[in-house]
Order: sequence, then structure tokens, then C-alpha cells
Amino acid sequence: MVRRIEVEAFLPLKPVAFHILLALADGPRHGYAIRASVEELTQGGIRLWPATLYGSVRQLSEAGLIAPQEGDESPDDDARRRYYALTGLGRRVLVAETERLQALLRYASNTQVIASSKA
Amino acid sequence: MIDRSRSARLATWLYSRALVVLPAELRAQFQREMLSDFQDLVTQAQQRAGVVGVFLVLLRSCLDLLSRTLLERRHRDAVDCVSDRGRMPVGERMFLFGQEFKLALRGIIKRPGFTAVTVLTLALGIGANVAIFAVVNAVLIRPLPYPQSDRIVSITHHMPGVNLPDMENSIGTLLLYQRHARSFSDVGAFTSGQRNLTGITEPARIEVLEATPSLFRVLSVQPILGRSLSDADAQPGAPNVVVLTYRGWQAHFAGARNVIGRKIELDGTAHEVIGVLPRSFSQPEPETEAVLPHYLDPNGDLNSFGRWGLARLAPGVSMELAQAEATRLQGRLTELWTAVTPEFLKKAGWSVTVQDMRNRIIGDAATTLWIVFGTVGFLLLVACASVANLFLVRAETRHREVNVRFALGATRPRVAVTFLAESITLGLAGGLWGMLLSFVGIRTLVAAGPTQLPRLQEVNVDGTVIAFAIGISLVAGILFGLLPLAQHMRGSVHALVRAGRAYSTTRERQRVRRVLIVAQIALAVVLVTGSGLMVRSFQRLRAVQPGIRPQGVLIMGVSLGQGRDRPQAAAVYHRIIEEIRRLPGVRDVGATNALPLEPRGINGGSYEVQSSPRASDALPPIAYYAAVSDGYLPAIGTVLLQGRAIDQTDHEQKRNVIVVDRSFAAQFPAGRALGQRISFDDKETWFEIVGVVDDVRMFTLRESPGPVVYLPMTASQVAVDLMNIVIRTDGDPLALVPAVRTAIKRVEPNLPVTTARTMEDVFRGSLAEASFTMTVLLIAALVALLLGAIGLYGVINYLVAQRTPEIGVRIALGAVPRQVRTLVLRQGLTMGVMGVALGLGGALLLTRLLRTLLFEVDSRDPLTFSVVPLVMLAVSALAAYLPAQRAARVSPLQALKSE
Repeated sequence: MVRRIEVEAFLPLKPVAFHILLALADGPRHGYAIRASVEELTQGGIRLWPATLYGSVRQLSEAGLIAPQEGDESPDDDARRRYYALTGLGRRVLVAETERLQALLRYASNTQVIASSKA
Repeated sequence: MIDRSRSARLATWLYSRALVVLPAELRAQFQREMLSDFQDLVTQAQQRAGVVGVFLVLLRSCLDLLSRTLLERRHRDAVDCVSDRGRMPVGERMFLFGQEFKLALRGIIKRPGFTAVTVLTLALGIGANVAIFAVVNAVLIRPLPYPQSDRIVSITHHMPGVNLPDMENSIGTLLLYQRHARSFSDVGAFTSGQRNLTGITEPARIEVLEATPSLFRVLSVQPILGRSLSDADAQPGAPNVVVLTYRGWQAHFAGARNVIGRKIELDGTAHEVIGVLPRSFSQPEPETEAVLPHYLDPNGDLNSFGRWGLARLAPGVSMELAQAEATRLQGRLTELWTAVTPEFLKKAGWSVTVQDMRNRIIGDAATTLWIVFGTVGFLLLVACASVANLFLVRAETRHREVNVRFALGATRPRVAVTFLAESITLGLAGGLWGMLLSFVGIRTLVAAGPTQLPRLQEVNVDGTVIAFAIGISLVAGILFGLLPLAQHMRGSVHALVRAGRAYSTTRERQRVRRVLIVAQIALAVVLVTGSGLMVRSFQRLRAVQPGIRPQGVLIMGVSLGQGRDRPQAAAVYHRIIEEIRRLPGVRDVGATNALPLEPRGINGGSYEVQSSPRASDALPPIAYYAAVSDGYLPAIGTVLLQGRAIDQTDHEQKRNVIVVDRSFAAQFPAGRALGQRISFDDKETWFEIVGVVDDVRMFTLRESPGPVVYLPMTASQVAVDLMNIVIRTDGDPLALVPAVRTAIKRVEPNLPVTTARTMEDVFRGSLAEASFTMTVLLIAALVALLLGAIGLYGVINYLVAQRTPEIGVRIALGAVPRQVRTLVLRQGLTMGVMGVALGLGGALLLTRLLRTLLFEVDSRDPLTFSVVPLVMLAVSALAAYLPAQRAARVSPLQALKSE
């Protein structure tokens, strides 16, 4: 129960935070890869500029949702880049936020917003 | 590749500078990653869109920096930063606002040309303001680096009746306040001087303060190492001790912590280092390297002034109360200062001033700085006017868009937000670039600013400066955004329904644009007039005959310190002069303790004239004394008007002879000065005037100091521990330096010699402040002129385009090109004339503020006030001529097509 409350303290997530967590869902990445992944997933719709990206990364790791990886860089990559991975809490928050969005989507489709706009 | 990457490198450099706005922790953690990401983004953008792409990435990244910084500063808590929780009500409103900003941003990015011109214009205006504000902030606004520094006061005295408008303190006045004043919790004093520092690897001439131990209590300064001076240290017979300043500690002991307890030699006497002062101990004498204890001897010479007096106000005592008490205490001064009578003090206009120490240090610089600040403020107004003009041009094209939005039910506030969002964003972008420009500007100012400007080295960018930059960017954004907004707000559904062109509103907008142009020209006239006056004043100042010939003169300071008696010292200087005289290329050589145009070294006092004894109650006349060797007067290039100079036999035979300047000689009937006998020590020794020379500007170019007397350096009235060797040569003075150094070494190997300068350096130094003010005003005026001319050109050009059909009809009806040209030119000149007329009125009012800075130029100088309008009219004519030319070439056919 305690955990549930802990997770809900973060909801709803800011879009930028959500996208960063989403980008890390597949595995650890460094800052530049996060940006590339977000851009790819949103087809260029969301572009993370440096200050926003690293500011958010710092806040997310301070909040305990992500954590820097120690000594796990692939050797051919630039050594100065730090890798980040989802923490357990981060994954739960991501799941909870996705569920929340899914629920929203369900309500919306029940009222046939999308269908009517398509028509 | 190298060529293409230059803009990318510049952008990366700018971005790296801009990173300073981020909170420190974030920057420390991610600076490298952010920079390398930025580089990648820039490279991509460059491949895609060239320089424009680089610019847009830089702009967008900087905006991103700014918004992130604001967010981080608002939310300290990490959870608040990643989650939107609990902010929905405000969030909804912010969403709308954010939408408008997004819309605005899209509009800005879509018009890179317009954006670039706007941002650049604003950046110039804002950058200049931020740079000057940084100086104003450091010099005038920021408190001195001492605890409760507003409680520290300076005490000065004045005796205008005997031509001594500003005197510091004597032991007498200081003891008076120490013993009797209740308004001060402590009274301290110091004098500044120099000592030869030996007993370390590299002997040096250092700047010292001789300070009463109470000074440290007044300033509340705690040493960072060891202890500071105690009252016991200043007592006669106490062991010799010295406290180092941070500067001295770094310069001569490389910041070694084991310096405490070390013995060093000052002027040949051993002193123990007992402490090191913090860096903040930098005022009022920033160059100080060591502090020695100073004893206010109640049995000593109570008459000699020249000590700075500083005091800390007692708790609860106001400046006014302290001033009142100090004034009251003057009644008891003659108890301590027995050489004068109350009647004498009264007659001489004796008075005391208690003032904020900071104001005392800043002095006249405040006027200059505020004027410069006002000037760049004007420049920003011009920049805003010209950007508002650009916005109005855009308003023409966007009118339909606005009306469509109204028709679709947009509320006025919503539309207003769109436009303000756009102008504020542009304002902030201009501000950001302005900040970057100002970094460069501040560095230049600190490096090239006049050294006379106090606290110049403290200038930097701090929170206040950044807040100021953001503040004026916002104000500028709102200012130039409001004008077009007012235009749009008149729009209505009806305007849309009416035909494509709504003539009445267009004409209305044209009027606003013309008013803006007239205002710009008027502001430019004010700035150009102000800078014109400064240029004239500077010319006058340069043309001043300083009474010497500065060309081809080398100056090197040599100090013997205070360890030797006078005949010994004089002999050493003589040997040095003789050695140098033998060097090839040397025409004349001599020595003096007081250089022209430098207030250092010279002192003054009262004198008696044997032939006209003074009535016992009359005020004594005052003159300045300078010590000179033989050869000095020809070496510096002073013109001998009568009699002869001091020569070597005068020194050898210790004759009591003097040379006086023209002002001094003026007190005697014409031609009668020679042979007069003067005493400087209450009629004990009499000196005979053997020569009269032309007046020399001893302190500044602006004013002659009053009568000056040149005494032989053997006379006991003058100090000769530091003398300037003055060498006149036919060639390049600096080429002589090595030979001169060797010559001095031949006489005495261990004498500290100061850096060599030319007299022309000294001359330029005394022009520095005037040239600084002039340069800033000139640059501001030129930029204003340029913006005004471009604005005028733009408006006339637009008008011509609008009137093309009409002009076509005129030509079809038989108007000749000349008539058309005149028509357009007249329109431009009308605005020019109105602007000039308004500007002249403003200039007449405002240049009065310049009066204290001007030298021998009236603030309503007729020449300036007649040339400037002519120049401005010529520029307006030129700006209108090009469109007029185009109008004259309109063919009726072309006009028909455009309809």
C-alpha cells in the first residue's frame, strides 16, 4: 500500500519526464541516445533541447526514478557519456502513468471523440 | 570544412558562455554532455540549413536554457519538477499561455530575416545597457566589501579661505574625534606610501598603508592568517611588525602559509610579519601590499595634514547627528592644534564633512557613470523605437490574420497575449544575445576603462546584473510590443467585411510610424549633440598646453627609501644623473619628486615674502613645492621666462635658490619676481627667486593647480625618497631603457627602479577618463544615427510603394521625374526637420547635465548646435533620396499593373 502511494505521488507525469522514462524502458541509454529515441518515437514531435534533457535527467535521478549506471558503458562509445537506467520505482511509475493514460484513452473512446472526429 | 565549422564553433562558444545561467549543480554535473550534444545538434542543423540553421539551434537552445533555469529556480523539489501533480488549475491557464508562446515562437522562427534584424537591434541596445550597468552596479550600487559598510564614514576638512578646499586630517583633528566624539564607535586613520621591500628573493618597491590599529575595527576586517595590528603595536618603542594584504602576500610570498613570523626588511629595517588580511581589504587603496602601524603622537607635529580619517558610526547614530557633533567639536580644535587661533580658522572658512565612505571613494566618477548610463539608456529607447517600427510594418501584413481571429471569436486578451508573447520572446532573445555581447563589453571596459575609475576591478556579472538584463529585456519587449498591439486592438469584424484594404486604419498606422521615426531622429539628435560636445571638449583638452613638451621623454622612478640623510640621497641622485647624461642619445636629464599631470609626490604649504610682511591676522598664501635637480626643467621641457634654472653649483654649494612659475610670479609687479626672497619655514631660511618658468599642469590637464615653487632637492622642505628620473632624447625614449637601467645599477646595484614610462603615456593617462566618456557617447550616437537613418529609409520606401499608383497617375498626367523626386524628398525632410527640431529642444535641456564633464566648452556650444542639425538633415535627405530616386523612375504602365 505504501508503495502505491509512493508511485502516485508522481502522477500525472510531465510529458518530458514520461518520454524519458519511456526511452529507458528498453534498457540503459545515455543522454544523447535518450534524445534520439524520443525523437524517433514521436516522429520528431518532441525534441529535447540540452538544458531540458539534462535538467530532467537530473531531477528524475534525484527523485529516484532513474539511476546512473556504473562502469557499464559499451567500449566503443564515448567514455564521458553517463548511462542511465530505470529504477524499480521508475518502472512502476512509468507503468502507472501508462495505465492512467490508457484509462483516459478508454474514457475518451467510449464517448467516441476520435470516431466522430474521423467521420 | 574549416570554413563551415566556424559559425558552429562560434555558436558552441556562445552557448558555453550562456550555460552560466544554469544552477551550479546542474552545470557542474552535465556541462560537458550538454556542450557535446549541442555540438551535434549544431552540426546536424548546419548540414541541413547552413548558418541560419546554426542560428536557430542556438536561439532555441538558449531559450531552452532560460526556461529550464526558471523552472529549476521555482521548484527546488525534484518531484515537483517531474510531475504535474496538483498544478492543474494554474496549469490550465499556463497551458493557454504556453500555447500562445508556442504560436509566437513558430511565428518567430518562420521569419528568420525579421527575427534576426529585431534581435540584433535589441541585442545592441540591451548589451550596451547591461555592460554599463555592470559597471554602475560594481562602482555605485554594490556596498563596499566590509560588514555594515554603510556605517563607515570618512571625515574631511576644508579651508577654502587659504585655497585648500579639501584637506584630510592632522593628528590634531583625529585626536579630537577619538577623545571627544560620541557619534563614532571608533576613529581610524591612515596614510599611504611606498617602501623598499628586501630580505626576500626579489627586492621590490611596494605600496604600504600606515594605519592606526583602530582602522581595522572601523572597517571590521579580520585577518585570514595570524593577527591584525593591536594598539600596543603602534606604541613608540614597540617591535617593528607588518601585516600583509592579500595582494602583497600573493605577489611576494606566493601565498605561503608559513609567512607568519618571517622577518622582512622595509627600507632597510627588519619587520616581523604578524598577519595576512583578506582579499576584501581592497578599499580605499586597492594597490596596498602591506600595512604598518601608525601612531598618532599627541606630542608630535599636530599641524601636518594628509591622513585619511575613517570612522564607524556608533549604534543608533545617524550621519546627520555625527556631522552635527563633528561641527560642534571644531570649537575645541584649537586646544589640540595650538598653531592656529579660532579667529584664523573662522577667517579661513574652516569646516568639516562627515560622509559615507563609499561616496568619498567614488567622488566625481559617479557623474560620469550616470551620464554614460543615461546615454546607453537613450540608445535602448532608439532600438525599441526602431523595432516597434518593424513590428508596425508587420502589423500591416498581419491585419487580416488578426481580424480573422476576431471573427472566429477570439477575445481581445487572447490576441493581445499572442502579440505580447511574440514581442516578449523577441525581447528575451535580444536580451540573451545582449548578455553575450555585454560579456565581451565588460571585459573590454575593465581592460581599457580609465584607471582613475575607482573599483573598476570589482566589475563582474552577478545576480543583480542578470536580473537587470532580464528586466530590461522584458520591459523592452513589452514596450515595443504595445504599440502595434494598440493598432491591432482597433481591428474589428467590420474591418474584415470591408474591402481588402482599409484605408483609414492604414493611414492611422502610417501616422504612428512617422511619429516613431521623428522620435528616433530626435533621440539621435540628442545623442549626437551630446557626443559632439564631448568631442569638442576632448579636442580642447588635448590642445591644452601643459607647460611641458611630453614628446621624447622617458621617465623612471628610483627610490632610495627613507634610510639616508638628505646630502647622501642628493649625492646618489646626482651620480645617477651624471651616469645617464653620458649615454648616447640623451639630450637632457634631471630628477623630480613631482611629475606634471600626476598628483603624486607634490605637497604644499604656506610661505612668507620678505619684501611684503604679512599682517599678523592675514591668511598666509599657499603654494605647492616640487623638488628638482639641475637639468630637470630643460629635460621636461618647461619654458624659462626669466632668469635662470637651478644648476649644479646651486646644489653643490647648497644655495638657497628657487625657481617659481608664472602664477607665483604674478603676485609681484611685472618683472620684479627675480631676487625676491621667500621663506617656507616661518622666516628661518630665505630662498631667493632666480628664475621664472611657465605654468605647468601639475595635477590634471583641466586646471592649473595654483602657484608652484621648484626647490633644489637639497632643500629640507621637500621629500626625495622617491624621485622620477626624467630623460629627454631625440629618438625613441623606450629604446633607452636597458642602458638607463645599467647606468643606475653602476651607481647602486640594489636600487628598486619602477617600470619605465614615457611622458606621453602620462599625458594619455590624464586624458583617459575624458576619452572613455567620449568614446561611449560617440558609439551610442553613431548607432542611434544609423538606426534612425535606416528607419527613415524604411518608412519612405514603404510610402513610395504605397503611392506607386498615385505617382504613376501623376507621371501619366505629365509630372516630370524631378517633381516626383521633390515630392518624396520633401516627405522625408519634413520628418527630418521635425525630429531635428524636437531633438535640439531635448539636447538643450539634457546637455546641461554634461556641464561638469565639459572642458572649456559651453553646454550650448554654438558650433555643435549648428553642425549637428545640418548633419542630421543631410542624413535624412540621404535616407529619403534613394526611395525618391525609385519613385522618379516609376512608369505609368508599371503603376497600373500594381493596382
